[in-house]
Amino acid sequence: MRVSFFAIVFLVCMPLALCTTKRTLVLLENLSFRESFSQYFKLLRDKGFELSFRTADDSTLTLTKYGEFLYDNLIIFAPSVREFGGKLNTPAISDFVDNGGNLLVAGSSSIGEAVRELAAECGVEYDEEKTALIDHLRYDAKDTGRHTLVIADKRNLLDAPIIIGDNAKASLKPLLYRGVAMTADSANPLVLPILHADSTAYSFNPERSIDDYPMLLARPLCSLPACRLATMPGPFLLARWNSSPTNSSEPLWSPPTPPLLLSGNRDLALSLSQWVFKQRGVLRFRDVKHSLAGESAPPEFYTVKDLVQYSITIDIYKPETGRWEPFQGSDVQLEFVRIDPFVRTNLRSDGKGTFRAEFQLPDVYGVYQFKVDYTRVGLTGLHSSTLVSVRPLRHTQYDRFIVAAYPYYVSAFSMMAGLFLFSFVFLYHRDEAAEHKKKE
Amino acid sequence: MSNRKEVAAASQSAAIQDSFGTIVRRFINEYWSGTSRSLKIIDAYMFYILITGVVQFAYCCLVGTFPFNSFLSGFISCVASFVLASCLRMQVNPQNKSEFSGITKERAFADFLFASLLLHLVVINFIG
Repeated sequence: MRVSFFAIVFLVCMPLALCTTKRTLVLLENLSFRESFSQYFKLLRDKGFELSFRTADDSTLTLTKYGEFLYDNLIIFAPSVREFGGKLNTPAISDFVDNGGNLLVAGSSSIGEAVRELAAECGVEYDEEKTALIDHLRYDAKDTGRHTLVIADKRNLLDAPIIIGDNAKASLKPLLYRGVAMTADSANPLVLPILHADSTAYSFNPERSIDDYPMLLARPLCSLPACRLATMPGPFLLARWNSSPTNSSEPLWSPPTPPLLLSGNRDLALSLSQWVFKQRGVLRFRDVKHSLAGESAPPEFYTVKDLVQYSITIDIYKPETGRWEPFQGSDVQLEFVRIDPFVRTNLRSDGKGTFRAEFQLPDVYGVYQFKVDYTRVGLTGLHSSTLVSVRPLRHTQYDRFIVAAYPYYVSAFSMMAGLFLFSFVFLYHRDEAAEHKKKE
Repeated sequence: MSNRKEVAAASQSAAIQDSFGTIVRRFINEYWSGTSRSLKIIDAYMFYILITGVVQFAYCCLVGTFPFNSFLSGFISCVASFVLASCLRMQVNPQNKSEFSGITKERAFADFLFASLLLHLVVINFIG
């Protein structure tokens, strides 16, 4: 199938056990899409995913059985379906995602209500039916004349190696795109545009002549928006694909201008799929420890101005080995918060995934939290907070003698000494009259 | 007649020409010769207390009143010692015998000691 570039919608949530995140339900418009996308499905199967193929309007479709989810991932390659079959609908899919499912959705120039509604639920808006992304300046050599097979510059990719692959910006070949344009609200903090269109692109029906202003223009156009769920610690990617099924013997990617080159679609698709299905960029923390500096067990309570040490261990999941490895991060921060943060410090990594910090507690008593709030593009958000109480000094913990008051201590004692000397002198001095009398 | 007038005029002008320095010198001379030794001892003690008090106060003005209780305690120790010493001086001065008729020197000194004892007890308690 000559799919120059397909955009896919992924909804990713954090499942509890990563080893069982491979059960995938694939909904197709019709079962012949299995061959159309054979290369992509082969990529997934090689990575260990178990795929179950169904048509999107199959009346036996269901995601849950007896309260448990049957699948971890859902792929919807059925853009023009009007309604999902069986028990599937937008609320059911949203529920699936909220509870840890991963979702990948593809759109096309002919989008049905079902997929449009699902995309709207995720904050992404497709352009009208039969429109396509058009760019008259950057189209492929194999384009049919409508300038809809667009070369997407890798400069327009989001700068997140976790999502697009390590070294992607350096080594990825140009990407090809043919399909409908999407847009997401730029004020929405949860939607990540993975791939923009160039500023020379616009979206319109390629069959009609242009007589009014296109709905979507230039940079806000996304070929690959991704959406993050606020409550879930994982990312969510929304994208779309184009829809011209062709001979399955053709390669998945198509060369742009001569000399014949392969496009970077395949690599990008693989990285994105891995990220969406929670194989990459998944973090977890464990072993949060805090204590007085030099000790190992946490005390019942702290006192103001104590020296404390804090440590947290962060792991990242490596899909190649299927194990959790220590996370090498250099910008994890710790906050010591009582309503407002009193202390904010960097955590030092020891190379084995344990991050440590030592600092002095503020001179204010109260109930505080050790907070680690680590959210980076493409990585799971880490939110750890540990409550501790910090008490004021007891009356026996203050300085016994205040250095600033030494002059007063000295003067009080000197008064006493002076009194002592004075009384001796006063009582035993020789009176002059007596002396004179003696002399006489 | 004219001699006496001249002498009177001369002494008047001399009185007018008396300067501040002359007054001070006369005061000092009279003090040295006129006061008994015990009063001079008390005066010396009071001068010492005065100096200590002034130094303390200056220190407090410079550094601030941080341990305020310590400052108060030290300063009041000086002030009250000064007051007690001046009471002792009044009672012991033979020129005031008419006002303190029933009080002997020994009684005055004993009162002074007792009051000082109380004062120092309170000062040590309050100084923190």
